Amino acid sequence: MQQVTEIDWDILAPELIIMIACALLVILDLVLPSMISRRWIGLFSLVAVVTAGVWIVTQFGHSPVALLENTYRLTPVTLIWKLILLSGTFLVLLISLGEDQEEFAPNSGEYYYLLLAAVLGGMFMVSSADLITLYVGLELFSLSSYVLVGIRKRRGDSNEAAWKYVVLGGMSSAFILYGMSFLYGLSGSTNLANIQQYIVKAQGTYDWIIYLSFFLMIVGFGFKLASAPFHTWVPDVYQGAATPITSFLSVVSKSLAFALLFIMIGVFDGIDEGWESIFLPTLMIMAALSMIIGNTAALRQKNMKRLMAYSSIAQAGYILIPIATLNKLYFPSTFFYLFVYLFMTIGAFAVIMLVMRQEKNEDMKAFAGLHQRSPWLALAMTIFLISLAGIPLTAGFFGKMLIIMGALGMEHLWLIVIMVITTIVSYYYYFSIIRQMYFRKANTTRRIRTSWPIGIAISMSAIATIGFGVFPEWILNLVESLLFK
Amino acid sequence: MNISGELIAFFILSVSAIGGAVFMMNLTRVMHMALALAFTFFSIAGVFILLDAPFLAVTQILIYTGAVSILMIFGIMLTKHKDEENPPSFDIKKLWSLIGVGAFFAVVLWIIYQSPFFTSEETVTDFSVKMLGKSIFQQYMIPFEVTSILLLVALIGAAVLAKREEKRK
Repeated sequence: MQQVTEIDWDILAPELIIMIACALLVILDLVLPSMISRRWIGLFSLVAVVTAGVWIVTQFGHSPVALLENTYRLTPVTLIWKLILLSGTFLVLLISLGEDQEEFAPNSGEYYYLLLAAVLGGMFMVSSADLITLYVGLELFSLSSYVLVGIRKRRGDSNEAAWKYVVLGGMSSAFILYGMSFLYGLSGSTNLANIQQYIVKAQGTYDWIIYLSFFLMIVGFGFKLASAPFHTWVPDVYQGAATPITSFLSVVSKSLAFALLFIMIGVFDGIDEGWESIFLPTLMIMAALSMIIGNTAALRQKNMKRLMAYSSIAQAGYILIPIATLNKLYFPSTFFYLFVYLFMTIGAFAVIMLVMRQEKNEDMKAFAGLHQRSPWLALAMTIFLISLAGIPLTAGFFGKMLIIMGALGMEHLWLIVIMVITTIVSYYYYFSIIRQMYFRKANTTRRIRTSWPIGIAISMSAIATIGFGVFPEWILNLVESLLFK
Repeated sequence: MNISGELIAFFILSVSAIGGAVFMMNLTRVMHMALALAFTFFSIAGVFILLDAPFLAVTQILIYTGAVSILMIFGIMLTKHKDEENPPSFDIKKLWSLIGVGAFFAVVLWIIYQSPFFTSEETVTDFSVKMLGKSIFQQYMIPFEVTSILLLVALIGAAVLAKREEKRK
């Protein structure tokens, strides 16, 4: 057995950086006198996230390593997941730093180190090949995000959101754990590679146990992915949480859930019979339901955050297609779409946050005449929205094209038809926001105040959304060079 | 089926475990509920002893019967609440959830019964606390450390959500 002292700490460095930063900030928050703004803590965590991200980039091309019997592993795939998580957290931290509303939580240090703890759990989760690390990492992430949702405790809607999130989140974790326990019971091992080998041997005799375990886990994953039919919590929680946290949930939490789905799908991979006839169709139905329910329910929303919540349910449906059809392109297309989704979603939430803060109104009408008041913000929002809708020249378009191309190869035409139709439906609500911004008269002529961190976040997201749309090969080459070297 | 001391002990322990759980749901006073729950935990510890897992049994008593129950009682003492709950009312929603849970239970039970378990007896390798320690602090060191951060987060989270707001100037 490998000894702890023999570990090459270089490999664990990104996690260690975040862990140390988190611990230091807890102490710093305690020692610093109360006059000093807690924004410094936010700045420090931003530095930690960037350092960890840069370290991960330097690890590109590292040969795969497994530590301590696979409780931790470093492979190209884990590096990409971690890069997605850290980029999302980076942007969320930036827009949190720009929020200076009195009642908002970033004035407290806890907000930042809980965010760091959440991403730390996520990083451990994606890089584990063992059920125990997987679950502990997942719970660290979930627990921190429950607190983050409820951190604005003087607001009723925030409390309601946190309560719903913690109850349903706890239930979904229980479902995942129950499913995992059957796998452990069958194979007698928590190691994913051992479980996979055992499942291949056990099919025929223990088929039903394997299916039961799969379905239990799918219920839990469906919740974490915010995909239909497990989506009912999404609008309330997204509306009640502070906007940076909403974007964190809709980007980082969703990416993490996809990572979990990928890892567990890999375990069930060896099964011949259930694979084609049961597992993949289940995922396809989830994808189809998410697209239909998300896009049609979004049509009726007037509240911006609820609209984005339903849009995020629909997007989860699109991202589920590559894994549900399991085509040749499924790795590159999922990663591409998640990267792009990250930028356009956080960008859109940042603009929504700015407008809502000034107008004290979460309604779509708050966007009326934004074009006359702050033309740059209106332009950025338009870029994000047309990318979410999937109009050519944006990254969202290319992402959707990759998904459709991949699914076409597998002859799942009905899924593509649903995707195209629901995408067209989604044009209606995305464009109604654009219509508000450009063709409605503003009530006031006041400009929207922007602060530098939000400005940076919005412009980075806008540049990325256009840039990856015009040069999609940047991401694709990166993914390919990592995966198929 | 031959009746042995083990079977009788198992019977008594499982009846008291299930009985505790049923009482916990039916009692109306919160304090009585906590006691019934502690009783269930204690009986489960007995089952662990029957299964030749003394370490697990001791841990069960220490953590569940001891710590968790005490924590609950403290929680009850420190929070304001109505001591008596209203007697449970019955409505159509509850009927649906009963049907749902019942169906789920039936499916799980059916699957477990039709799977050929208990085919052969495995020999259990000797267990020692030393081995347990090695496995936690060698093989599972990373999840162990992550768990400590998890506890830290839970602590901070509880403090954040429960602490009294300072007066704004």
